[in-house]
Amino acid sequence: MSARHPSKFRRLLREHWLPLGTVLLYGWAALTASERALQALLIGLRTFGSVALLIVAVMGLVGLTQVWIGREAVGRLLGHEAGFKALLIAAFAGTLLIGPAYLIFPLLMSIHRQGARWAVIATVLSAYALKLPMIPLEIEFLGWGFSLGRSLLTLLFAIPCGLAVEAVMAIGRPRSE
Amino acid sequence: MYDVTLIYLLLIGLAYLLLWRRSPEKTRQSLHVALASTRKMLPMLSAIFGLIGLFQVFVPPGLIESWLGGASGWRSLLAGGALGALVIGPPPAAFPLAGSLLDAGAWPPAVAAFVVAWISVGIVTLPFEAEIFGARFAIVRNTLAFVTALLIGLLIGSWT
Repeated sequence: MSARHPSKFRRLLREHWLPLGTVLLYGWAALTASERALQALLIGLRTFGSVALLIVAVMGLVGLTQVWIGREAVGRLLGHEAGFKALLIAAFAGTLLIGPAYLIFPLLMSIHRQGARWAVIATVLSAYALKLPMIPLEIEFLGWGFSLGRSLLTLLFAIPCGLAVEAVMAIGRPRSE
Repeated sequence: MYDVTLIYLLLIGLAYLLLWRRSPEKTRQSLHVALASTRKMLPMLSAIFGLIGLFQVFVPPGLIESWLGGASGWRSLLAGGALGALVIGPPPAAFPLAGSLLDAGAWPPAVAAFVVAWISVGIVTLPFEAEIFGARFAIVRNTLAFVTALLIGLLIGSWT
C-alpha cells in the first residue's frame, strides 16, 4: 500500500503541475502581499467569467466535430490531400475566431486528431492574431498605417509560419504524423 | 466580444437541436464528449486564469512602459518582443498601452513587435499549449511566432 503512494503522488504532480504551481504562487503572493493576491484572484475570476460562455461554445463544438465529422471529411478538407486550399481555409477561419487563443487549443487538437495537418493548426493560430473585430480599436490607438500594416503582414506570414511549424514537426517523424 | 459569443453559442445550440432530431444517440455522445473535454480542461484553464490575475497585478502597465521607454535598436526590438510574449491579457489592453509607448517616444518597430508578440506568443499559456498539442509543437510555434513578431515589427516600423 505504502509503495503505491509515491507513484500516485507523482501522477498527480505530472497531471496537475500547472494548477498546483499556480496555487503555490498564490500562496507565496498571499504571504508577501495578501491584498494584491486577492486582487489577482478577482481579476482571474473576472477573466474566467468573461469567457465562460465561450468555453461552453468551444467545448460544444469539440463534441460535435469529434462525433459528427468523419476523419475522411476532415482529411479531404484540411489534410495533406487538400493541398493549399486547406491552408487558405485555415487562414480565413483564423481571422473569424474570437476570444483568447488558448480557448480554441482543445478544438484545434480535436480537428488535428480527425486528420487536419499540423500546418492547418499553426496557420489558424497565426491568422488568429489578426483579431478582425478589434481592428477599429487598434486604429483608434495606433492609427491606420500601423493597424493595416500589422493586419496585412499577420495574414501574409500566417501560411508560411504554419508550413514552417509543420516542417519542424515532421523532422524525424513519419509523414503521416 | 460578448455579442459574438452569444451568436456562436446560439448557433452551436441550434446545431445540437437539429442533430438531435437526426440522431439522439450521436448527439448524446457529442454532449458526453463536450462534458468530458470540459472536465479535463477545467483545472488547466483555471490555472491559466489564475496566472493572468497574478500577472496583471504584479506586472502592471507602468512597469512595462518603464522597461520599453525611449530606447531604440535591436535590444529594444528584442525587449519589445520578449515583453509582448510574456504579457498576458486581452488585445484591447495592448492597444492603449502601445499607443502610450509611442507617445512616450518608444521606437515604433519595438512597439509593433510588442503588440504582435502580445497577441501571437504566449509564455504564460505555453504549459497549457504543450499539454494539448505536445511540447514540440508549442515550443516551435511560439518560437516562430516570436521571430515573426520581430520581423513584422521591423517592417511596420519602417513604413509608419
